[in-house]
This record gives sequence, C-alpha cells and structure tokens, in this order.
Amino acid sequence: MSLSSRFAGFRAPLVIAALLLSATSAHALPSYARQTEQECVSCHVGAIGPQLTPYGQKFKIGGYTDGKIADWGIPLSAHIIAGATHTNKDQDGPAAENFKSNDNVAIQEVSGFVGGKLSDHVGTFSQVTLSGIEQRVGWDNIDVRYARELKFGTTDAVLGVSLNNSPTVQDPFNTVGVWAYPYTSSDLGFGAPSNALLTGENALYGLGQNVLGLTGYAFIADSVYAELGGYRRLNGNTLSRLGAGRDSAVPLTGFTPYYRLAYTKDFNHQNLSLGLIGLNSSFKPEDGGGAKDKFKDIGLDASYQFLGTRKHIGTVNAAYIREKQTLDYTLAEGGADHRSQTLKSYNLNAAYYFMNTYGATVGLFGSKGNEDATLYADNRLARPNTTGTTVQLDWTPTGKESFTGPAWLNYRLALQYTAFSKYDGAKSDYDGTGRKASDNNTLFLYLWSAL
Amino acid sequence: MKPRLLTALSLLVVSLAASAAGDAGRGADSFDANCAECHSVAKTLKNKKGPTLFGIVGRPSASIAGFDYSPALKAAGFAWSQEKLDAYVTAPKKLVPEGKMKFDGIADASERADLLSFLAEQK
Repeated sequence: MSLSSRFAGFRAPLVIAALLLSATSAHALPSYARQTEQECVSCHVGAIGPQLTPYGQKFKIGGYTDGKIADWGIPLSAHIIAGATHTNKDQDGPAAENFKSNDNVAIQEVSGFVGGKLSDHVGTFSQVTLSGIEQRVGWDNIDVRYARELKFGTTDAVLGVSLNNSPTVQDPFNTVGVWAYPYTSSDLGFGAPSNALLTGENALYGLGQNVLGLTGYAFIADSVYAELGGYRRLNGNTLSRLGAGRDSAVPLTGFTPYYRLAYTKDFNHQNLSLGLIGLNSSFKPEDGGGAKDKFKDIGLDASYQFLGTRKHIGTVNAAYIREKQTLDYTLAEGGADHRSQTLKSYNLNAAYYFMNTYGATVGLFGSKGNEDATLYADNRLARPNTTGTTVQLDWTPTGKESFTGPAWLNYRLALQYTAFSKYDGAKSDYDGTGRKASDNNTLFLYLWSAL
Repeated sequence: MKPRLLTALSLLVVSLAASAAGDAGRGADSFDANCAECHSVAKTLKNKKGPTLFGIVGRPSASIAGFDYSPALKAAGFAWSQEKLDAYVTAPKKLVPEGKMKFDGIADASERADLLSFLAEQK
C-alpha cells in the first residue's frame, strides 16, 4: 500500500495479512479486569486502549497471572471494531474486495480471546480474529507466558518466557511495533506506514503472525527490563491451518534474534522509560540460488506518563528505528538497483486524557530511505519517504469506578484523522499519475466495544 | 498586646493541630494518586484488588468478609488505628512483611497526614 515495487505481487499477501490482522489490533481485555477485579483504567490510560500504565506493564510482565483463575477455567473475552472511512480522494480501485473506492462502512474485526491466568505461573493473550474486510478467520496476536517472581538478596525480580507470533507483541511498552500509536486504524484507508520489519513489515517481507518466537525476559527491581530470544518461520501448511493463508509464509532462515533492554522508573504520580530494541533477520527465497536478503533493525524509544490524580493525564511516546538492508537476493532478481539500503523511521505522539474518559492524541510519523528506481519503481521520485500526522479524539465512558452501567459493557467512540505531508517520496504527484499525498488523508470514525 | 499575642498563639495552635490532622482535600488527591487504582471508598463497600477502605479507621484488620487477605494480615490481629495506618502507609512491608500489597509507601509525613485525614472521613 505505502511502497511499491516489482515485488509487489509476492509481498501483497503479506502486507494484506499484516494490515488486516496486525496493524489494526489494539486490545484491552475485560477478562483481565474480571480476573484482577481491577477496572480497565488501572492498566490502560483512558481505557479501553492498549497504552499501559505501570500497573498494566507489571501485569503483562507477570505473565497475565495476577488475580484469580476464571470461574469456568478459561478466561474468555471478545471485541468488535466497526467504523466508517473516508479518504480525501477516491482510491484508484476498491479499498478492498467487495468495498467501494471511498466512503466505506464496515465491521472491521470481531475477535475472540483467551486472555488471562491459566495457572499460577502461566497466562496468555491469545486472539482469533474474523476480519470483516477480508472475510476470513485466522489467528491474530498470540502471547503465552510463563513468569515467576523471585528474590535475589533484597532485590525483587520477575523472570519469564514468552511464546509469541510477532516481534514486539510481547513488549510491555507502547512505543514500537504492534502496540504503538495509533492503536487502531482503518483497514480501508491509509495509515502510518510500517516500514521496518521490527514494526511488522517492510517493503519486501512481513513477520507479524507469520513466525513463532520464544523469548526470555527479566524485570529487575521494578526498573530494568531485559529480553532476549528469537523467531523462526512457519511453513505454508501451518499458516494455512491457522487461517493466516499459505501465501503468508516468509522464507526466513534459521533463528532471528530479537533483543530488548529498557529502564523504567515509576514515581507513582508519573513514570518514564528509555529503551533499546533490535531484530536481525535473513531471508532466502527458494529461487534465489542461495542469495539472501538481510535486515538489521535497531531502535531507540522513550515514554513519559504523568498520571497525577488521574483527573488530568498526559503521555508522550517516541521511537526511532534504523533498518540496514543488504539485498543480495532482491538485487540478483532485478528487484533493486542497490545492494545496501537504509530505512529510518520515527513516531512521536502525545496524548491528554481528562477523567480517563475524554482523550486527544497527536502523533507524528515519518520514514526516509534511499533512492532506488527499481525497488520503488512506482514512486515518481523512487524513494519511500512518507511523513504525516495522526490526530485522534476519543470518548470512553466505561472501565472505571464512576461508570454506573453494567460491568460487562466496555466501549469507545473515536474520530481519527491521518494527514500526509509526503507519501511515497513526494508531496504531489507521488506516483506519476498526479495523485497528491494529501489525497490519501483518511478520516476514520469507529466504535470499539469489548466484553 | 496581650490579646494579640493570645490570638497569634491560638492561631498557631489551631494551625499545628490542623497540620497534624492533615488536609482531607489534599488527602483525596493523594488517595486518587496512590490508592484508588486498587481500593475504593464507595459506600457500597466495593472491593477491588484491595479491600474497600470505606470505614477503614478503627476497623479490625482482615475483617471484610469474602476478601482474600494474605495469611500475614489475617494473623496480624490489630485494628486500623491512625497510628497503624500511618505505619502501614509509610512502609507496608515493614508492618506486614509477608503482606500482599504491592506499594512502596509514602515517605512524606504531611502527605500521609492528609491521606489519613481523608480516610477518617470515609465512614
């Protein structure tokens, strides 16, 4: 969608799968609230959304095991996201199969979850999604954990392992990848591009829901978070059985290391975190005669939350990712002019919430890459550069003590606008047909409800 | 001079007493910032992760029926006097070493006084 190349044919299924089953995922689970007897706002700034408070981060790091096991043994939840999408100018074709080129209304996704404590030390966030756009059911974000609290001398620590299917889905901070802002976006419009593998997919490959990873982590003295692990590919048969589609399989070779180091400090009224995150991956398509495409992603991130008395809440999240690409396979196949490429991307967002109910968020995003007339053949300036702003206003009356309605009812109504100042390398005529970046500006009105 | 001195001394005494008792208004803010995530003071006696704090002052420890207290707190056998609450809010693990409450405590004595003043009104 955001980048084009002669490889678009084989990457399209990856991108579609990633868009439908990953980029729009943003979840808080009522089953967690039932398990911990806490309100949604204890874990999420402004609830329902995924921006975790320190309490929520610790709940995730603790393996989703705090609290009691569900009465019926399996902690179940569900949610639905439905919305209306308008773009500044009609898209060149249908926004998706069975949809119009503009002004679409859709039930974007219906998800079922097993979310919460399974035993004293095992918990999960496991999601199956029916995409209302693609009209198929498949596995979505999966994170199954084992965690234990230990004491080393006078120092408290949590040690755990996560079995998951997407790099960053297990991350407790909301700065990079799966859980970064915007937490939900339209599948039928244009959103901030995900340009690095670390954030899900790049111009050539996608990892989200196409791999299986095992990582081990330690959270020491409530301040140092360290995680190390890796990912392996899943074959087409397995992905087909999981509903992700046989074509989603990626030729990932061997073991793909993932690492994360962060320092966080909770001052109760406010908190901050600083971190480093990275992923090194290598792909060897069968028809390449042994040639590989390699990617080294490294990112820096930071976040700050002012929680105060929870009447006025302010948050800032920032991330910068640099992806070094060595494209031996793509070059050999005539898919790029240059073997070595670099892609840099950033996101910076600030949010204000009043009474954990009324929210306003502004997010800046951007990416910048090398000029390559073949890799970016459909871009008039042969560059992937895209910049823009996403603004969201939302109203979430549920999930707090002051809400007097039924405890099972959770919903958010939100209006989101994404404006592009540059798209695929240019402000105007970015694709040689006269289309402007601002033609892709997307207005998304959505309702998100969970039970 | 004498009446003025007396007035000044009276004001000082009243001020010191108020300081010792704390400011319930500021205490409400402290409660929202430090406690409300896990405790409620609603008159409906709502338990969250922590037990209701409505009527906490003077209440016997571990006495809310149906709440899953730690064995340590069950065995404590004291009543939540202002002094006990102050000690607990200062350093929970010091008063109840094997307790479940995950809270580092409030070091500032005046903030604790404000908070206890607010809690005393929740009855």
